[in-house]
Amino acid sequence: MMFISSWVRGTRLYFHMVAASIRAQMQYRYGFFMNIIGWAMSYAGTAVTMWVMLYSFQSLEGWSFWQLIFLFALAVLSWGVCVIFFFHFRSLDQYILNGTFDRFLVRPIHPFFHFMAMKFDVGAFGQLLFSIAAVTLAYIQLNLHWPIWKWGVFLSAVIGGTFIQGGILVLISAIAFWTTRSERFYWVVMFPAKSMMNYPLSLYPRALQWVVTFILPFAFVNYLPALLLLDKTHPSISPYWGAFSFAVGLVVFGICYRIWMMGLNRYKSAGS
Amino acid sequence: MGIIDVNHLSKQYFIAKRQEGMWGAVRSLFHREYITKTAVEDVSFSIEAGEMVGYIGPNGAGKSTTIKMLTGILVPTAGEVTVGGLVPYQERQKNARQIGVVFGQRSQLWWDLPTIESFELLKQVYAISDQQYRKNMDTFTEILRLDEFYQTPVRQLSLGQRMRADIAASLLHDPAILFLDEPTIGLDVVAKERMRTFIQEMNQERGITVILTTHDMADIERLCKRMILIDQGRVMYDGGLSKIRDRFGKSRILIVDLEKDTDIQVEGAELIRSEGNRKWLRFNREEITAAQLIQQVSDQADIQDLSLEEPEIDSIIRQMYEEGMSVR
Repeated sequence: MMFISSWVRGTRLYFHMVAASIRAQMQYRYGFFMNIIGWAMSYAGTAVTMWVMLYSFQSLEGWSFWQLIFLFALAVLSWGVCVIFFFHFRSLDQYILNGTFDRFLVRPIHPFFHFMAMKFDVGAFGQLLFSIAAVTLAYIQLNLHWPIWKWGVFLSAVIGGTFIQGGILVLISAIAFWTTRSERFYWVVMFPAKSMMNYPLSLYPRALQWVVTFILPFAFVNYLPALLLLDKTHPSISPYWGAFSFAVGLVVFGICYRIWMMGLNRYKSAGS
Repeated sequence: MGIIDVNHLSKQYFIAKRQEGMWGAVRSLFHREYITKTAVEDVSFSIEAGEMVGYIGPNGAGKSTTIKMLTGILVPTAGEVTVGGLVPYQERQKNARQIGVVFGQRSQLWWDLPTIESFELLKQVYAISDQQYRKNMDTFTEILRLDEFYQTPVRQLSLGQRMRADIAASLLHDPAILFLDEPTIGLDVVAKERMRTFIQEMNQERGITVILTTHDMADIERLCKRMILIDQGRVMYDGGLSKIRDRFGKSRILIVDLEKDTDIQVEGAELIRSEGNRKWLRFNREEITAAQLIQQVSDQADIQDLSLEEPEIDSIIRQMYEEGMSVR
């Protein structure tokens, strides 16, 4: 009973803190809207670039334009959700550097939970706007008619994708517990891997495909689910793997969370 | 058995040794050597409930490290620490409920939100009842005049306002123990006095145990009957203020800017520092008055500017070493 009531309390606290974060962002009214519109347009821009590319080549690795749009939009969708909840983990190194991280350790709530509740990035609604529109358009253009189970796969892809990308963000932020600067790892590791996923996996050398499926499992964010949802195939990987995004997400996030907590322990032993 | 018990507490850091030059940098990729840095060594003390203790020392003495171990932020390398019957780093969340912390320059409030909202969030974080919240907010607002800036975002507050908000926030959940890290730093004279009065009231009326870290001797003199002095990780002195005051409180430092660098000899004063035209003279104000000293100096050289200082912790410690006062 105690366990459940503390979960309820935790959720209510989370909503309070998130509401506070939203109010804080809405203070900067101009920036708030420009942020959303900016992101929506930026992704739309990428989509236009794709269209221009494909105008000459008709298809890429056997993927038509609208299939590629679907692939891209699916990635942006779960990335958008991930940004809302986890993007501010990138600034963990700043908190540690400024000594403002300690406040999370003198309060009677879990430090990871507290840190996660500090920001609810509403600006990411721009990504969501674009991706929902793009997925809907692609769905219509490709004449898809998904049965319930495929909607389940879609949902699993979005949620699993959020956990996979969120987990990696959390993992990269944890580097700040060992050294001070973690932000550059985001640009060196995550951003390239993410960008790769905008295009069909079969495009890349086998070794790279292997890395992105088994080590940093971004393939489960959009490519593998897309295979299943669009009835496509891959030379060596079965499309049914695409159904496992949720499970993969949980495992990845679980591992990254543990490593973050290990980093926190290290911080408590070694100071900063 | 006090409310805070510290026994042979030690904290060591392992810092990777920096290797010289390019070859060294390459080598350090494969083989890291570590130097041990001892921040806190064999510190022991006991604080009773309701005491207000000054915890002082020069920069790098180990003050913050000790406080971090008492608040559960750092894990000690050796020794024991109990706060309110709990081991801070083992029962961090439970300990957090019985302590309040003010980190001096670093605010714990939500930066972008109106001040009052931070309090409302903390009410949720600490699960404070409506009644307790109302009561505390009324008290703090009355004494600290928080209502003057309830709606102002924390980032727009002046330092004095922010410190007032921070200390109120630290007491909102009625902790038994309060850790104050430099609570008056950067404040103007009026604000300092207001802060000190508030701290004293909290200690006397609510019986809150207060550990106060500060560089300002006036804070200590005004508030603390007991002072623990830490230097280079060790407790140098733990006792009443009157003993210190009797021995060192009478000394003053006269800083004179002479027209040109002159060797001055003065009876009753000691030249402790000299930088070009500027001389630092330490004297005992019971043996010689400032006026007399200034007269003597001006007999020997032309004074362009002067100022009078009370001794800082650093110079008191230096003096303590010179006179061999190291009391456990």
